[in-house]
Amino acid sequence: MPPADATRPENGGSRATGSLSIIRSLKADQPAAGFETFIVIAADGFVTAFNGHVDLGTGIRTALTQIVAEELDVPLSHVTMVLGDTEHVPDQGPTIASETIQITAVPLRHAAAQARQYLLERAAAELDQSLDELTIDDGLIRAKNNRSVSYAELVAGKTVCLELRDDVPVKDVSTYKIVGQAVPRLEIPAMTTGEMTYVHDVRVPGMLHGRVVRPPYAGVDAGDFVGTSLLAIDESSVADIPGLVAIVRIADFVGVVAEREENAIRAAQQLRITWKRTPTLPDLTDIATALRANPSTPRVLLDKNDVDAAIAAAAKPMQRTYVWPYQIHGSIGPSCSVADYSDGGLRVWTGSQNPHVLRGDLARLLALPEHAIDVIRFEAAGCYGRNGADDVSADAALLSRAVGRPVRVQLTREQEHAWDPKGTAQLMEVNGGLDENGHAVAYDFATRYPSNAAPTLALLLTGTIPPVATVMQMGDRTAIPPYDYDAMRVVTHDMPPIVRASWFRGVSALPNSFAHESYIDELATEAGVDPVEYRLRYLKDQRAADLVRSVADRARWTPRPVWQPPQADGDVVRGRGFAYAVYVHGPFPGKAAAWSAWVADVAVNKATGDVAVTHVTVGQDSGLVINPDGVRHQIHGNVIQSTSRALMEEVTFEPSAVASREWGGYPIITFPDVPKIDVLIVPRQDQPPLGVGESASVPSAAAIANAIFDATGVRFRELPFTPDRIREGLRAAETKTAPAPARRRGLFAGLAALCTAVAGLIVAASPWRPAIAPIARPDASIYTAATIARGQQLAALGDCAVCHTADGGIVNAGGRPLETPFGTIFATNITPDVETGIGAWSYPAFERAMRQGIHRDGRHLYPAFPYNHFAKTTDADLQALYAYLMAQAPVRQNNRDNALAFPFNIRPLMAGWNTLFHTPATYTPDPAKSDIWNRGAYLVEGLGHCGACHTPRNALGAEKASAQLAGGNAEGWDAPPLTSLSQSPIPWSENEFFSYLRTGISTYHGVAAGPMGPVVKELGALPDSDIRAMAVYLASFNPDAPSAAAQQAMAVKLETITSVRPIAASAQGARIYDGACAVCHEVGGPELFGSRPSLALNSNVHAATPGNLIQVILNGITAPVSGDLGTMPGFAGSLNDRQVSELASYLRQRFAPDKPAWIGIEDAVRATRQATAR
Amino acid sequence: MTPDTIRLTVNGKVHDIAVAPATPLLYVLRNDLELNGPKFGCGLGECGACTVMLDGIAARSCVLPVGACTQRHIVTLEGLGTREHPDPLQAAFVEHQAAQCGYCLNGMIMTAKALLLRNAHPTETEILEALRYNLCRCGTHVEILAAVKSAAGHSRASEAADAAG
Repeated sequence: MPPADATRPENGGSRATGSLSIIRSLKADQPAAGFETFIVIAADGFVTAFNGHVDLGTGIRTALTQIVAEELDVPLSHVTMVLGDTEHVPDQGPTIASETIQITAVPLRHAAAQARQYLLERAAAELDQSLDELTIDDGLIRAKNNRSVSYAELVAGKTVCLELRDDVPVKDVSTYKIVGQAVPRLEIPAMTTGEMTYVHDVRVPGMLHGRVVRPPYAGVDAGDFVGTSLLAIDESSVADIPGLVAIVRIADFVGVVAEREENAIRAAQQLRITWKRTPTLPDLTDIATALRANPSTPRVLLDKNDVDAAIAAAAKPMQRTYVWPYQIHGSIGPSCSVADYSDGGLRVWTGSQNPHVLRGDLARLLALPEHAIDVIRFEAAGCYGRNGADDVSADAALLSRAVGRPVRVQLTREQEHAWDPKGTAQLMEVNGGLDENGHAVAYDFATRYPSNAAPTLALLLTGTIPPVATVMQMGDRTAIPPYDYDAMRVVTHDMPPIVRASWFRGVSALPNSFAHESYIDELATEAGVDPVEYRLRYLKDQRAADLVRSVADRARWTPRPVWQPPQADGDVVRGRGFAYAVYVHGPFPGKAAAWSAWVADVAVNKATGDVAVTHVTVGQDSGLVINPDGVRHQIHGNVIQSTSRALMEEVTFEPSAVASREWGGYPIITFPDVPKIDVLIVPRQDQPPLGVGESASVPSAAAIANAIFDATGVRFRELPFTPDRIREGLRAAETKTAPAPARRRGLFAGLAALCTAVAGLIVAASPWRPAIAPIARPDASIYTAATIARGQQLAALGDCAVCHTADGGIVNAGGRPLETPFGTIFATNITPDVETGIGAWSYPAFERAMRQGIHRDGRHLYPAFPYNHFAKTTDADLQALYAYLMAQAPVRQNNRDNALAFPFNIRPLMAGWNTLFHTPATYTPDPAKSDIWNRGAYLVEGLGHCGACHTPRNALGAEKASAQLAGGNAEGWDAPPLTSLSQSPIPWSENEFFSYLRTGISTYHGVAAGPMGPVVKELGALPDSDIRAMAVYLASFNPDAPSAAAQQAMAVKLETITSVRPIAASAQGARIYDGACAVCHEVGGPELFGSRPSLALNSNVHAATPGNLIQVILNGITAPVSGDLGTMPGFAGSLNDRQVSELASYLRQRFAPDKPAWIGIEDAVRATRQATAR
Repeated sequence: MTPDTIRLTVNGKVHDIAVAPATPLLYVLRNDLELNGPKFGCGLGECGACTVMLDGIAARSCVLPVGACTQRHIVTLEGLGTREHPDPLQAAFVEHQAAQCGYCLNGMIMTAKALLLRNAHPTETEILEALRYNLCRCGTHVEILAAVKSAAGHSRASEAADAAG
């Protein structure tokens, strides 16, 4: 066991001798079996209290502190709560089901009461007074005779250990001074200053950083392929990562460990692994069918009177189906853990919600006894159920064991999203009906909940436990409706998970209540009775009925017995809905937590389908309230989170894995969409305290669905209530015959024509050229510094280093692969090394190469080296360039062989090419043009070689003279037309060319990215006057460019007309844009460091093909021209081909509305991704 | 990624750090400078948990190469104030109990602080829009909004009126 203990979050006890402890023996009459401690009062009078549950951000640390301080009559500041630390706290099971205050605090309260009683008795003896003459004030016991003794004095010098008794009387609620008061959360001051230590912030000496690489079956944890799918790891793929310590593989478990975190991240991204193909999942876009098909065992929870007969006799039978989607817990911080495996023991710092269960899992995983494992619980990002906290702790343990040092592991956002045990989809089917008087005659309810406890992932991936989907009986929470219908049958179909799933706030009760509370609303509508009144007819629980009435009153509910179309405000209609639920938790029949009721007000835009929850009145009967602020904040949190779940949350799937891997693919509610909330806390201080962590979520979805019905007259029985679902539902209700969608014809036909095979056209003309004799490396000192400096500028203009430097290689030493339609050419070493570079080249040899494309040894060079442009350079400039190159340090690096297909690998054929396409003449100024134009033309057409990328090429790879700068391509990117053929919505002007070439950004076009980024960086070496000249020349291809004022006006207009979501555009694309892109791209969005390129003006969004947009989305702009621009991350690892395609389609439709839709985007995404991977 | 020596000014102190310039600023702040304020949330600039200020402007440090941060004043949550001497905005978050798990809090405070630096008295709508792309999962939006409004000089009375909605 590692010795260091300084990193425990809290540690009670004091150095002075003497203490009073309240303990519970694990086995009565067997002291050797050990004990659990609840309370320790130290000799300084300070109290340490222990609870097996943990604080998941709900504030229970503060509430428990209040309970202990109250019962002991000590100040809050004298109590320290220790939560979840396995070495110290009692095992009270996982922190689930809102049980902490209601259940696990009970022994703690008794222990505190017992300690108080013991101290009073001691004081009575000490002070020689009877018990009823003593009072306690802040840990000081006073007698009527004015004598007093403190807890500290009573405890000092004696070590007393008392067995917990639950028969000691607790304080009467009417005497409470601390419980029931709004006490500020203890942690918040530290949170606001960065002093709070989360598990993410744990650092231990010698700690390394690890990352895991998960299998491709993301989010699936059962089936024989789990733990058996890894075929091979190519360790050479991460050979370049500095400080890489280990690659760890155990079956399908893979992790990397590095000295630095960013290098562990890179290694995990870069590591090449071959996996088996994994089976496809059932179609989860149709949850009802998938869940009905999942094998199950019915379990009857209630069967009262003859349901079938009652339904058969109903005047108005009503059969309804309600569907809940897969959802994620969505912790804002991906799970994190630090593990230290040494000396045969393990210490784990974790954010787990069940440290004792985790300890058992770790013991199994590592084959260690539990007592050799110490699980230390630190605060983490809120989890609301079982997220990746246990998984990552096990990952860290495996990696630490492999390297013998402490390892910190944090999951990626993508891993947390994909592998988080999902809040499962759920199917609720209700059959019943009304008699002729509108009385509900029967309620036949069946629910399907495909979830279990989600075994800790490493156990499955390593093959430690079999990947069998076990069945857990958790679909029964609040399965029995709160309404006392005459005949009732309630059945839960217990079933294994389909994808990895576990409990999520409002476990099965929230979906079940969505059905109960929607159905009773439907009954009320059919019966022509106000839904609140209708509920009260069947609600027999008096506290529930009181709450329902109080909340309806508070919201000024007006009876609405018959649905009336509301007054519309343009496209917007408003409505309100009611729902009530009591959250029943724990194994069936379970215990009830707090009662909750909602009145939700919504505004529905019938044109766009947007639903806004504008206001929620929420009432709760929580029994005794420990901390009113804490309860209020939990209610706020539940209302906001469950509104988010109802309106927008839904996991999407690929054929064999989870597809939602970041906040664009799985959006959650944001500030402007949060409803106003009015909280009503029903005063019940005389009743036992009830769990408040989940209750206010439970009525949410039904209240919102009922409000949408009230607004629109249309009933929605499947979540989430996204704009597209609402629109579809409204349209379906209006007309049964939906118009057939218009189809568009392909635009991409013929795109690949350029790359078709070419044969027979090649003419051989004087293919052999003489070698020019090698020379000794010239002495660069013969050149003046001014000449060399000028050469340096010219080298920058010519982008020599851009092509002649490999990624991560030495400048100009060659090796960079250049993809051409004819094969791969590797740029050569142009440092002045005599053997491998150009050190043996005389100036005539250099000049011949630059002007004619001939190697010193007489071989033809390929026109990937743009000598057709370089030839235009003046002799003086070539001399300077030569001087500069020869003045650089020689680097010995052999050139790589090209990989060209026949016949392109026959160099002499280039002679024919030159005859056809090359004129080796220097630039001749056009006397009709200005000097600056001629200067610009010289730079652009000569060394600048803009046309090499921006001019289209013919079938033989030569620039088309007739289409100068009319658009070409480079390195998988489109090089857009610079002429009037430009697709940019605002034509290029001289000023925008200047701005773009000088700074890497044009407000009206976008940011230099891809191969253009390095070009602009290199141009930084040129003076403004040269950049201006290039701009003047390029702008002359657009003689009709509008004035600056006109450009500005066009920009405003374009941004205005594209400021709203087009209704018909991809809904998925819209969600991804909102979650992933809008933060930096939405016009008028928040001010953030870096540029905010406006997509309405962006050239790539308006281009003829989606190529560049796809490139930017997948690969980002990670190395922009200047740091001022900020960066854009690539989404290749976060979005799949379909998601990128939907996003690109949405961007096109929204921001380039006058341009035709792109088609074949998904294929283009796939091709780009594959090309990038090569 | 070859390490260079990068000079950073963080919370008024100058640090020379041997690190590859492409390394996101977040890892340098957390691992080299041991600052716990900025948090890793998504690595994509989507959630805002990693927010710091660069020359007074909110910046998402998970997507910002450290090499682009030289010559700038970087301020993290720790640089705003301490428990003993908190920034008024930090004090407002404490007063309004504006945290549940608190993981997003760094981003909320730093983004709001940058807003208040350029606009000392934003309207409620301006606050909501400034925080739109800072994600909170616990649903602490009501308390966070109240805290920022109070730091922006909105009176209690107007807050009560808003709450009553």
